[in-house]
Amino acid sequence: MADESKPFFPVEKAHHVKPPPPRRPRLNTQESRFWRCFRHSELASGLILPVTALEFSPVAPFHLAAACSAAVHLYDGGSSPSLAPLPHSPLSGFSDVAYSPSFRCDGSLLAAGGESGLVQVFRLDKAGPPLRRLSAHARPVRFVRYPRLEDKLHVFSGGDDALLVYWDVPSETQLITFPGAHRDYIRAGSPSPTSPEVMATGSYDHSIKIWDVRVPSSSNAILSFSHGDPVESVLFLPSGGLLATAGGNVVKIWDVIGGGRLIHTMEGHNKTVSALSLGRVGNASTALGGGEPRLLSVSIDGYMKSFDFATFKITHSMRYPAQLLSIGFSPSGNSRVVGTSNGVIYMGMKKKLLQEENGTGSASVFDGYAPEPKKQVLKPTNYRYFHRGQTEKPRETDYPIKRAPKVKLAEHDKLLKKFRHREALVSVLSKKDPTSTVAVMEELVIRKKLLKCVANLDVDELGLLLRFLHKYATMPRYARFLMNLANKVIEMRPEDIQSNKHLSKHVGSLRRRVAEEIMIQRSLQEIQGMISPFLIIAGR
Amino acid sequence: MITGGQRFVASPPAFSQDGKKLLVCTGCTVSIYSVSTGMQITELEGGHTDRVTSVVVVPVGAPSSKFMSYCWTSSLDGTICYWDFASAELIKKVKIQFPVHSMVIPSLSTIGSTEEGSNLYAFLSVEDINKPASEKKALHGQVRIYNLKNQKPVGGLLTETRNPEILYASKNGEFLGISNKRKLHIWRIPANNFRFDEIKKIKLHHTKKLTCLAFHSTLRMVAGGDDTGRILIWYNFGREKFAQNLQNLKGTKNPSDEAKPGVRNNDDVDSCTTWHWHPSEVKFLHFSSDGAYLYSGGNEGVIVVWQIDTGKKKFKPRLGSPLLYFTESPDPSLSCVSCSDNHIHLLKMPTMDISKSISGIKPPFSFPLKHEGSCTQVAFEQTTGLVAVSTEDYCVQFYSLFDNHEVSEVQVCKRNFQPADDVMLYVALVAISLDGSLMATIDVTIPEEKLGGLVCLKYWTRGSLVAEYLLSTVIYEPHSDAQVSSLAFRPGHNMAVTSSYGGDFKVWVHGSHAGRNNESMQRTGWRCQSVGSYKGKPLTAAVFSADGSILAIAAETMITLWDPDSNILVAMIGDTLSPITKLSFVGKSEYLVSYTHSLKPQLSVWSTSNLALYWSHGIVTEAVSCSHDESQFAVLALLSSPGDADAKGNGVIFFFHVEDPVPVATWTVTKAKGGSLAFLPANPSLHESSATNGVNQLLLVFMNGKHEYTIFNPHKEENIISKNSRKSQAAQDEAERLGYTSIYGDLSNSNAKHNHFQEVPFAPSERPWETIFSGSSHALPPLTKLCTSFFESLLEKRLENSNEMIIDADL
Repeated sequence: MADESKPFFPVEKAHHVKPPPPRRPRLNTQESRFWRCFRHSELASGLILPVTALEFSPVAPFHLAAACSAAVHLYDGGSSPSLAPLPHSPLSGFSDVAYSPSFRCDGSLLAAGGESGLVQVFRLDKAGPPLRRLSAHARPVRFVRYPRLEDKLHVFSGGDDALLVYWDVPSETQLITFPGAHRDYIRAGSPSPTSPEVMATGSYDHSIKIWDVRVPSSSNAILSFSHGDPVESVLFLPSGGLLATAGGNVVKIWDVIGGGRLIHTMEGHNKTVSALSLGRVGNASTALGGGEPRLLSVSIDGYMKSFDFATFKITHSMRYPAQLLSIGFSPSGNSRVVGTSNGVIYMGMKKKLLQEENGTGSASVFDGYAPEPKKQVLKPTNYRYFHRGQTEKPRETDYPIKRAPKVKLAEHDKLLKKFRHREALVSVLSKKDPTSTVAVMEELVIRKKLLKCVANLDVDELGLLLRFLHKYATMPRYARFLMNLANKVIEMRPEDIQSNKHLSKHVGSLRRRVAEEIMIQRSLQEIQGMISPFLIIAGR
Repeated sequence: MITGGQRFVASPPAFSQDGKKLLVCTGCTVSIYSVSTGMQITELEGGHTDRVTSVVVVPVGAPSSKFMSYCWTSSLDGTICYWDFASAELIKKVKIQFPVHSMVIPSLSTIGSTEEGSNLYAFLSVEDINKPASEKKALHGQVRIYNLKNQKPVGGLLTETRNPEILYASKNGEFLGISNKRKLHIWRIPANNFRFDEIKKIKLHHTKKLTCLAFHSTLRMVAGGDDTGRILIWYNFGREKFAQNLQNLKGTKNPSDEAKPGVRNNDDVDSCTTWHWHPSEVKFLHFSSDGAYLYSGGNEGVIVVWQIDTGKKKFKPRLGSPLLYFTESPDPSLSCVSCSDNHIHLLKMPTMDISKSISGIKPPFSFPLKHEGSCTQVAFEQTTGLVAVSTEDYCVQFYSLFDNHEVSEVQVCKRNFQPADDVMLYVALVAISLDGSLMATIDVTIPEEKLGGLVCLKYWTRGSLVAEYLLSTVIYEPHSDAQVSSLAFRPGHNMAVTSSYGGDFKVWVHGSHAGRNNESMQRTGWRCQSVGSYKGKPLTAAVFSADGSILAIAAETMITLWDPDSNILVAMIGDTLSPITKLSFVGKSEYLVSYTHSLKPQLSVWSTSNLALYWSHGIVTEAVSCSHDESQFAVLALLSSPGDADAKGNGVIFFFHVEDPVPVATWTVTKAKGGSLAFLPANPSLHESSATNGVNQLLLVFMNGKHEYTIFNPHKEENIISKNSRKSQAAQDEAERLGYTSIYGDLSNSNAKHNHFQEVPFAPSERPWETIFSGSSHALPPLTKLCTSFFESLLEKRLENSNEMIIDADL
């Protein structure tokens, strides 16, 4: 049974129809709780130049490689509160800007391209010159990838000269070259997670091509389809059957096995999507392979979006204060890094990482028996004892009784409720919102209290009122009311106005505004005088 | 004939003993409402011929008599009636020579049941009609005692007062009190073997006029409210005077010389405290049944709950109008408050949420004098038989005339209503289109010393429900700062006209025009189509003809006829002696009726075919209504001239045929000032007979100045229209959950088998242990009382069984 007594009507100007409040996204989903449990910090901020690529090593402790200007920065994924730079970081064997670092499948070598067209392979355990230098490209190489499966010998590279090369790294020889693989820059690619021989590349000619090194080199790509926009990033999804491509402000999901059929288009971003990455959402204890997979995309509109490609829904979105160029998500599920165009790497580290790893890891390794964690009984000595049950969620069988929503009242409404009229007027005058001020004044007129209020104002408050009047008295919407009020105020408080310098200044400016308004009115009348004969003639 | 619109709040209502029914005094009848649905169940009629002033429900003693439902009612016609209100039957009628203004029967609450042989003494506050009314200072009010059993007065007068006062009795029936000017008179009534000369009296003094009082349910405590809003509480009154035996009196005299804080005139009380929250007169005081709280209310429409021990306050605000009475039901979770806007709100008690409202038609309110001419408070919607009444709290109330209950309420101005002395904002005009799909209202803000006045025209469209209107367009200052004199819709079109005293009229049309580009939402709304004026004269009335082809506008004394589409002046008819107040077309004929209100009153019928006066009368006309199809109209005329100061407000309804200046029929009515008239099509469900005749006859509604109305057939002299059968609305009395089950729900029936076993030897109807323990624990009767009834019921059963056994043995 609803209470049928009348609601409280706050004073408001009916001229001013309020738009409905914007729909706020539901913040309390499981997904958002997961993303909220990251502690945010800046990993590196002094790099100045864009961070073009971020790559996590596929093996523990999941080092991070970040390509920025003429260096590849390496960070230790095992360091606990935050990622720390490795001792031999950065790798600086580049003569020009470095691009696209790629870890070998065992994580011991790193290949990277560069503006000079040279692909270099570094070792990661200690500093030193590059182990191998692969030179075939004449233009910058923006795409270098080791195959993802157990293939330690080969690497793919593609460059702005539209050349795709399949290298044998130890001998520094080109096993297969695909000259003119695309008709424009090759900027993206992804090795297949199921086969070391298969590679997908994306190019600025809008096309995505799938290559297989086992078929004769003379023939073309085994599959080709068009994204519709210059392709910025390509990523095989874990099954190997789906391919995600980013270009323009859309991300498309393709069915590769089904012959390049478009499955879904994600249109969450407002500007060009710059990078894609895979992530896993779920508990940290099930880090490796646990949790639900998500496709993470970043865009230069500053948003990172998490996309559930099982249900084709954007499940979360996060805003950063800069244009985003690259993203990486640690396979351990503990950290997430985002690179921006102004050289900042934002990092999110999972909170409460340590104790969980210690708690679960040690026991299960040694005896295969995980004791159930003891349920801690809250005692009255515990602070939380007094907060118990506050976060309890209702069960399905429960019948929740909603508390009546609290009416939020403005300051002047509260004062009007208490019949403190002068205070209400002063409070709304100091808010400087003309619509609510006029509404309060009209309410006071209905209560027959406005003139009494004006008579009771002290000098400072009168100054507030005069400032309001000279600002808004000539506004057409309020003029009819406020001009009369201005007259009354000056009639009622002449001594105060004459004695106080500030007040007389306000009155002076009010006079100027009125004179201006009279000029406008006069010219409008002239125009009316000119037009009205025409209208009468037209009416006949 | 249907009557309705009675005032529900003229006297306090009473709950039935089971707390499921509410007995409301409605004029000369008592209506019984269901608490669970808020609908009327029955009506006690035929007993009284004047206003019923009080209802006393006979309490139920033994649980076996739970379904007994008797009540006493008193009335201004000088009778007291005894009813069985479950079957709505009059049982007994007691004649008293004087109009009874208030009645209490204190002994009812002590005895508990109406035992045979014991006498029932009613205390009556009566008006002495033998004294002439011209004697202002004479004591007109008397308090008398009457024995209802042998129908004889007992003893003499208890007291005499200037006016008849309302009587208050304490819950246990021991004390009786009235407020008389600045004093409270309190009598102690001996509980058993009542004798007149054993009644003792004390007086409690105050410095302001006392308006109400209340007795505490258990303690010797009385609270009084005065007309400045103070609440005084006297503790332990009458310790000396009401002491049991006279010997003790002398002994206790000495301690009374101690300081008595807050006590005036050495009254017979221990102490007196004063609470002050109400800014104006306290209208009711009521101690809660557990005695911990005091409820008070007054003009400002807020129930204040005082904790008696600490004086802390809680509030129930925004009830919308001044409060009059507060009544508690036997069920502690329910009570009701009567508001002066003819509403009775049923409150769920600890939280004071309104669970249901019994809403009568809202009473008229007084317009500011200067603006009175341009106001109509009442508009009729012909199709559904609704009346739209503009109310004091800036609403338009839709009231069903045939069913006599409120249908809906539309809030015109979104403002919190505060009862104030002078109205500054009011809904001046209400108009509803013929099919009821559109409504227009005008609300006026009166300027404070020529500052901030505003006239606001609002158009409303009907929503999905009956009489639900949604705001469509707001037009500020439709005629700049001039007052709007009339508002009319064009039949069959989405068009309306407003005329103003400023000398122009505007024709408004409803149009939908797309925005500049298609993405922006379509704008629909009312806009001004054309503006017209006639020689700059103030336009006093405007009306469309029945087919909508002609717009007639009264320019003071002239009637101008316009083509509403092209806004061209077609013809003038003139002229009257004084400015025309109202215009109306007579059905589909070519005649126009007008009347003027000033010093030379005139009712005129004009012919539009030859543009001349057809006939006229010099009568003071209050309202005119024309039937839409036939060429007949009805006129409500006042019998006094408008300058007459002490006009009694009696009037006559004339029923004219337009061709004939001699009325077809006349009826005399009372309270005609401010009344209104309308023709309504007969409700088809009501009048199957007339529908079968093929002639759908129109009924005439007369609503008087107090918003009471009568519906009758003007064509037949003695056609008594049967009252709308409200049996269909009667409450389906589902089993109300009480006590334990209301909190925790039904118990799972684990001992079903056991019950089944018991049912065999015992009669199923009498199992008092199921009922006597229900109710909250602190409200349970004492254990001794419970035990006896419990064992009694058991004993009865044994007797029956033993009888049977004896018979068996005999066989």
